[in-house]
Amino acid sequence: MRRRPGIAGLQNAAATRDKFRLVGENVAKVRTDVMQEQLATFRSQLEEFARKHKSDIRKNSVFRQQFHEMCAKVGVDPLASNKGVWAELLGIGDFYYELGVQIVDICIATRSHNGGLIDLLELRKLLCQKRKTDLGSLSSDDCLRAISKLKVLGSGFEVISVGKKKLVRSVPTELNKDHNGILELAQAKGYVTVEQVEKDFSWSTGRAIDALETLLKEGLAMIDDGHRDGKRRYWFPCVTLSSDASGSEAKS
Amino acid sequence: MQRTVDFKLPHFFNYPPYFTLQPVRETREKQVQLWKELILDYCRSQKMYIISLEEDFPLFSNPKIERSLSYEAKEVFLAALVSEGRAEWIDKNHKKCLVLWLRIQDWANYILDFVKENGLEVTTIEDIRSGIETHGTELAGIDRGVLMRALRLLEQKGKAVIFKGSSADDEGVKFSV
Repeated sequence: MRRRPGIAGLQNAAATRDKFRLVGENVAKVRTDVMQEQLATFRSQLEEFARKHKSDIRKNSVFRQQFHEMCAKVGVDPLASNKGVWAELLGIGDFYYELGVQIVDICIATRSHNGGLIDLLELRKLLCQKRKTDLGSLSSDDCLRAISKLKVLGSGFEVISVGKKKLVRSVPTELNKDHNGILELAQAKGYVTVEQVEKDFSWSTGRAIDALETLLKEGLAMIDDGHRDGKRRYWFPCVTLSSDASGSEAKS
Repeated sequence: MQRTVDFKLPHFFNYPPYFTLQPVRETREKQVQLWKELILDYCRSQKMYIISLEEDFPLFSNPKIERSLSYEAKEVFLAALVSEGRAEWIDKNHKKCLVLWLRIQDWANYILDFVKENGLEVTTIEDIRSGIETHGTELAGIDRGVLMRALRLLEQKGKAVIFKGSSADDEGVKFSV
């Protein structure tokens, strides 16, 4: 715009600026309105969807996971509060709270056997037994979600990865790198020997025994002096599924 | 001795460390608990009453995983049963153990129910142990000592009277039900 001299010119310019601002504000407002309308539509559609597929969401683990992913994309957390519209609508909060309670139950009941560390797959199997459903109806994802909700209780529930396995920890044991290494090594046969630990990690005998004794004291390991080679074996119930604790190694 | 087919052994029986006494207290407690239950269940299913520490006993070794209990371990598990009143040493050296998979009191009640059901107000000791009515009940082949103690308990309570039978080696019982 060409600048014109004089007072009238200045006033003109100010008026023009005002007009532009008004128009701009209008456009923004219209956009926001449209957006809000779209969001409301989307939300009601999502609610409609959730209502319609409520039983699928509760029953089908794959569907459940996809629903969670969809919610995460639009920034809705259906588990954020049990009083929220989502939870009320779906009872999906109840699903995870119930699952959480069952997980706590199982972790406590098996603690004297496994020292408070349980294989996620084993946990799922026990959960399905308890719920009288088959393994397919309850995914690892469900368990992990329920466990993440348990963290709020400050109860020390945590999922740790050891080698290929995911283990759920229900006692506040601090596992250091040495311990993790041993647990990983034990996954091959269910047990380790001092010799094997020394050789695999090139540790001194003292270091190997130290780590194994700690695991023993924590209730995570059990000793076995019964093999005919006379070497003490340290077994780890947390990496052995109860269903396949057949001791197939014994012959080796 | 052989294991009868209809007894399902628990998972832990196939897990080698359960055959070694565990040094850590909590783990040991769990181990002892599992063995106690297994011994009681097994004896009940096989109707066994006496376990001798010095003889082979099918539960105390598992050839499949090549593990067996040490003498000390057997003694620990049986002693745990003894301390709960579920077993008794029958010799001073603790080499033989009477397993009470039903307590004497429970046996007494069981006998009373059995007698009522079958209308056996007057019977003999031998008939209780091996009569036709006894077939298929817990009483089949009951240890004579255990049976006598249960009957004496009933006698004390005024629910039975033991008397000499016609033959010298058999005694009769009259129940008041």
